[in-house]
Amino acid sequence: MGYETCQGEYCNASYDELLTHVSPYAWAYMGIALGLGLSVVGAAWGIWLTGSSLVGAAVKAPRIRSKNLISVIFCEATAIYGVILAILLLSKIGDGSEVKAGVLPEDWNYNQWYFAGYALFSSGVGVGLTNVASGISVGIAGSSCALADAQDASLFVKILIVEIFASALGIFGIIVGIIQSNDAEFPSA
Amino acid sequence: MSGLCVHNRDFGMTEALVRGFRTGFLTDQDYHHLTQCDTLEDVKMNLAETDYDAFLADAPAVTPAVILEKATAKMVAEFRFLRAQADEPLSTFLDYVTYEYMIDNVMLLLKGTLSGRDVGELIAQCHPLGRFRDSTMRSIPAFENSPKGYADLYQTVLVDTPVGPYFSQFLAESSERLGSAAEVRHVLEEVELEVVKHSLMKLYLEDFAAFCDGVGGDTAEIMGEILRARADQRAINITLNSFGTPLNEPAMRATDRKRLYPSIGFLYPAGTAKLAEAADEGALGAAISAFPVYREIWAVHQNESVEDRSIDDAFYEREVQMLELAFEGQMHFGIYYAFVKLKEQEIRNLVWISECIVQQQKDEINKFVPCFSQTAPWRAS
Repeated sequence: MGYETCQGEYCNASYDELLTHVSPYAWAYMGIALGLGLSVVGAAWGIWLTGSSLVGAAVKAPRIRSKNLISVIFCEATAIYGVILAILLLSKIGDGSEVKAGVLPEDWNYNQWYFAGYALFSSGVGVGLTNVASGISVGIAGSSCALADAQDASLFVKILIVEIFASALGIFGIIVGIIQSNDAEFPSA
Repeated sequence: MSGLCVHNRDFGMTEALVRGFRTGFLTDQDYHHLTQCDTLEDVKMNLAETDYDAFLADAPAVTPAVILEKATAKMVAEFRFLRAQADEPLSTFLDYVTYEYMIDNVMLLLKGTLSGRDVGELIAQCHPLGRFRDSTMRSIPAFENSPKGYADLYQTVLVDTPVGPYFSQFLAESSERLGSAAEVRHVLEEVELEVVKHSLMKLYLEDFAAFCDGVGGDTAEIMGEILRARADQRAINITLNSFGTPLNEPAMRATDRKRLYPSIGFLYPAGTAKLAEAADEGALGAAISAFPVYREIWAVHQNESVEDRSIDDAFYEREVQMLELAFEGQMHFGIYYAFVKLKEQEIRNLVWISECIVQQQKDEINKFVPCFSQTAPWRAS
């Protein structure tokens, strides 16, 4: 196309080569980082959404304090999903000892290697994003729940059902994440 | 979307506080007990069981004036608590709510000096929400009662207060209108105090509406409705009250009266154009007949002798309905404004009930508009 492409030994000839030259370990660890990090972002978001309303509403209606901690616990659960997934994924990664010799062995199972990397990445991203959505959703519903409970105690259980549906989103994420990562296993030397 | 997701970070606690204050409103049952009272001591006892608690504890004698003062003080204490917790832009919003009372206070002080009343008495009558610094308050009546005095008052004192911009805008517009390079003193000499007050309120409402539109989201929508309804109420009341006064002269209508109508509001511009030309009640009725809500309110006014409800009652009811609706949504600023206004309405109710008890007019005692009442006419039973 009128420009010189790099022809050297270590240059990538195309995007295809660029992507396959990213180490599967990088994909896997990014997946774990995103899975854990985004889950915690979602949980924290939900907690401050709910907590601020809870603190204010408890000024005039102190009775709501203990019951409405359930909303906070629902948000916390999304962070726990993230931790569980992260530990699960970590156990699938080898120790990287195959490169001790500097080159990979002759019969290295590249297909399994790449598959594992991509599987762990997508698993982590999926769980992270669903937990962000779940956390925000539970947070807003929890905020309304605290305010409604302060006004009229009979509303608490009804709005809690909304929160239960919201936290189900996080469960969808972790279920699919676990299934995705089931067959992934980094080959060992 | 972003409104829902991040609103609580800055305003979650203040919103929850206001909703806590909302539970402190008097219920239908409380009003029922109050209307059964025979003396103000009974009223005090009944109020002690509500959110009002012992607010009259250190009052030497219970009179309607004392009830008004103490109940207002309670509301102002709650408001100041909210204001202390507020962040931008909520803090500016709450300040805007107080500007209206500042305008009222300045007008009260100016009018009071005209009739030569005592400074201390005037300051005691000022609404606490619109209080300036004490030095400012004291200096307002100290100016001499003349156009030059007003001019000096404006230039030295009022220009620094939050309502200063409204004064300067009003003076600029008026001096334009008076043609010559009129000085402040001439403007204030030519224009009556009532007109000054209406003009200031018009400018304030327009400014407030513009601010709410700037905040955007649900706040703009809800406050927009409320302020527009208020602007229309002012337009109709100004027109109605001008019949039989010089403001209703054909020469004055299009120039003087028309410039008192706010430029926000559902009646603007077509309705206000017609209102500007209305010379009597018939024409007024025709001017607002295109707007169903105001047509109904006008019908109440026309049936006043039959049903004993005045146009003010109808407007109060509509206002209370809109303000209660503001509480139906979460994560916007409308509830703070609604809280102040509804509390004001409740205080008016308390004073009405107390006055009826003191004057032994038990058959008039039920003519108040309760807030958050289950028996409100707009609630389907």
